[in-house]
Amino acid sequence: MFKAIVSADTLRDTLDSVSVLVDECKIHLNDDGIEIRAVDPANVGMVDLTLSADAFESYEADGGLIGVDLSRLEDIAGMADAGQLVQLELDEETRKLHIQIEGLEYTLALIDPDSIRQEPDLPDLDLPAQVVVEGADIDRAVRAADMVSDHIALGVDAENERFYVDAEGDTDDVHLELEREDLIDLEAGDARSLFSLDYLKDMNKAFPKDAEVTLELGEEFPVKMHFDFAEGLGSVTFMLAPRIQSN
Amino acid sequence: MVDWTEKYRPTTLSEVRGNDSARDDLKQWAETWDDHREAVIVHGSPGVGKTSAAHALANDMGWDAIELNASDTRTKDVIERVAGEAAKSGTLGGGTGGRKLVVMDEADNIHGNADRGGARAVTRLVKEATQPMVLIANDYYDMSNALRNACREIEFRDVGKRSIVPVLRDVCRREGITYEDAALSALAQKNAGDLRSAINDLQALAEEHEVLTEDDIVTGERDTTEGIFDFLDDVIKEKGAEESLYAAYDVDETPDDLLNWVEDNVPKDYSGAELADAYGFLVNADKWLGRVRATQDYSYWRYATDNVAAGVAAARREPKGGWTRYGPPSYWSKLGRTKGTRNTRDYVARKIAEQSGCSMATARREVMPFLAAMTHHCKPRELTVAMAAAYDLEEEHVAFVTGSGKDTNKVQDIVADAEASKAEAAVEHSGGAFAGQASVEDVDASESGDTGEDEGDDTDEDVFVDDEEADTKSDDAEDDDMQSGLDEFF
Repeated sequence: MFKAIVSADTLRDTLDSVSVLVDECKIHLNDDGIEIRAVDPANVGMVDLTLSADAFESYEADGGLIGVDLSRLEDIAGMADAGQLVQLELDEETRKLHIQIEGLEYTLALIDPDSIRQEPDLPDLDLPAQVVVEGADIDRAVRAADMVSDHIALGVDAENERFYVDAEGDTDDVHLELEREDLIDLEAGDARSLFSLDYLKDMNKAFPKDAEVTLELGEEFPVKMHFDFAEGLGSVTFMLAPRIQSN
Repeated sequence: MVDWTEKYRPTTLSEVRGNDSARDDLKQWAETWDDHREAVIVHGSPGVGKTSAAHALANDMGWDAIELNASDTRTKDVIERVAGEAAKSGTLGGGTGGRKLVVMDEADNIHGNADRGGARAVTRLVKEATQPMVLIANDYYDMSNALRNACREIEFRDVGKRSIVPVLRDVCRREGITYEDAALSALAQKNAGDLRSAINDLQALAEEHEVLTEDDIVTGERDTTEGIFDFLDDVIKEKGAEESLYAAYDVDETPDDLLNWVEDNVPKDYSGAELADAYGFLVNADKWLGRVRATQDYSYWRYATDNVAAGVAAARREPKGGWTRYGPPSYWSKLGRTKGTRNTRDYVARKIAEQSGCSMATARREVMPFLAAMTHHCKPRELTVAMAAAYDLEEEHVAFVTGSGKDTNKVQDIVADAEASKAEAAVEHSGGAFAGQASVEDVDASESGDTGEDEGDDTDEDVFVDDEEADTKSDDAEDDDMQSGLDEFF
């Protein structure tokens, strides 16, 4: 059983965070909220999302699992204006999701969850450095790096207590440094890893520009990027595997 | 219902049956990958366990397996995004030290429309990859040379009957099926080489029968395609009319191609009267193909095949033996060799057709021979320049029509002059649209140029007429001289 009413903005934020990595995903309908975990086809990027039942106007669920085509669902959510409410109801018999937006009714055929790629295990990582920055700073770094290269280095200089971003292109370079006072928080520890800019760009799209984003970094290790949405009732963690430096 | 081939897919390399040495090679490749960092091509017939081995290997090594198979659209973009990123990145669990296995299934099939640019993307990827990659293919030689050179090669051979029977026995035991040994043996025999289809057959049989007996094994065979060289042996040397015809049905070639193959190879074994008879049948076949082309009624194809296969076999009068080196139809290599010339010819014909409003065929048959005669070896020069300008011809086209060398100064000058006269004509026809912009001097210059051009045009026309007259008079001699090389194209 699943029946919920949620604001269109919250629904869109939720879907956008996942759709940057995959086209289809499984959604766990737990009794205290929904949970989505997915990994992209190349096993490079991963998303772990939870949205508490409190983020919904009303919420009833008893632990079901559904598979959805994200772009379809996004299109439907796009039909709603900001502030409008979306009503979702699962028909267990037909395995279809009934969606209502102010009189507009849409019946979405679901995907067999078994046919969707397995959900990843959450890797247990012990990352030495942690940085909390504004979403807008990441956006600036990613956009600048994108002009010169297809990969980007994220690092923390423990000694000087600064977070830095490097992008080296064939001819041009981009370098961005943020001191402790520019950052919301910093747990210094030596860290530097190279990442695919394509993925970071996609993930960056999901970061709310006014939100705090927590980055956890290591030496040649994946990065964890965490942020809250829906007024703190939803949380997203992205993980991205590092590029291997080829020489 | 679970597919048994999935259910009993080996989870570790030691469970992969048959192909012990290939299996060991694969393991050794993976264990030493850090030293050589090469990709590997695993190739062999369908159903021998290539994909299973790759996944079992990933499992044994504790690597994640990223698979890109033929059911994904494998365009250049998708390959670069998925396999490319996978092959250049570390893992989520282990960072850059973590390993994963990128498995590219059916790597010999990355071409055609859906996979545009895919084959080249794979080659580049193999060279740039920082993670181990396995390319799986049925036909090693269907992959480009560049790709083969960049990879190691491991061949999986057909799985022998003796290796198939124990697998079937094992599956039966685990599924609780009663069986006769002879039944499994017959099943293995029937699917010689292909372990996967043997297991599929077993599953299908187990659905219907409680106890498997030898009689349950239908001896029908899977469709196979017959190679063209076997077919030539059948038709020319070994088989009678009826059998040859049946053989033709299994060959994956159109009747047009079959005709070319047989036509080129039959004189290597036939001689005298029987060869004449064989060609008689080939002529009939060609007539039927002509009817197909004219009417677009492809049901006539059957009569062409009858003649090519049964007819030629029936024409044989004495037994043939030994081995003959059959080769591909020379018609193809001729088409290949003349491709450039034919393109040039078609370009010229199209330009003429556009200018004079006739069809390309008419331009080729009725205009180009005259043009060739009129401008033989670029004489008279003015006429040749006028022609090049009128039809917008480049060096190679002028060379084609006149028979002069393409790289000679003469031809290049003519084209340059033609360009110049075209440019002047364009200015002239612009009706002074640019006059406002041009300075007084420029206008003067172009006016004087125009006058010169006009005079030139006049002379051109004169020459044209003169030459045509001259041409008609000395028609035979000229014709003979210049058309010897072009004949076959008109």
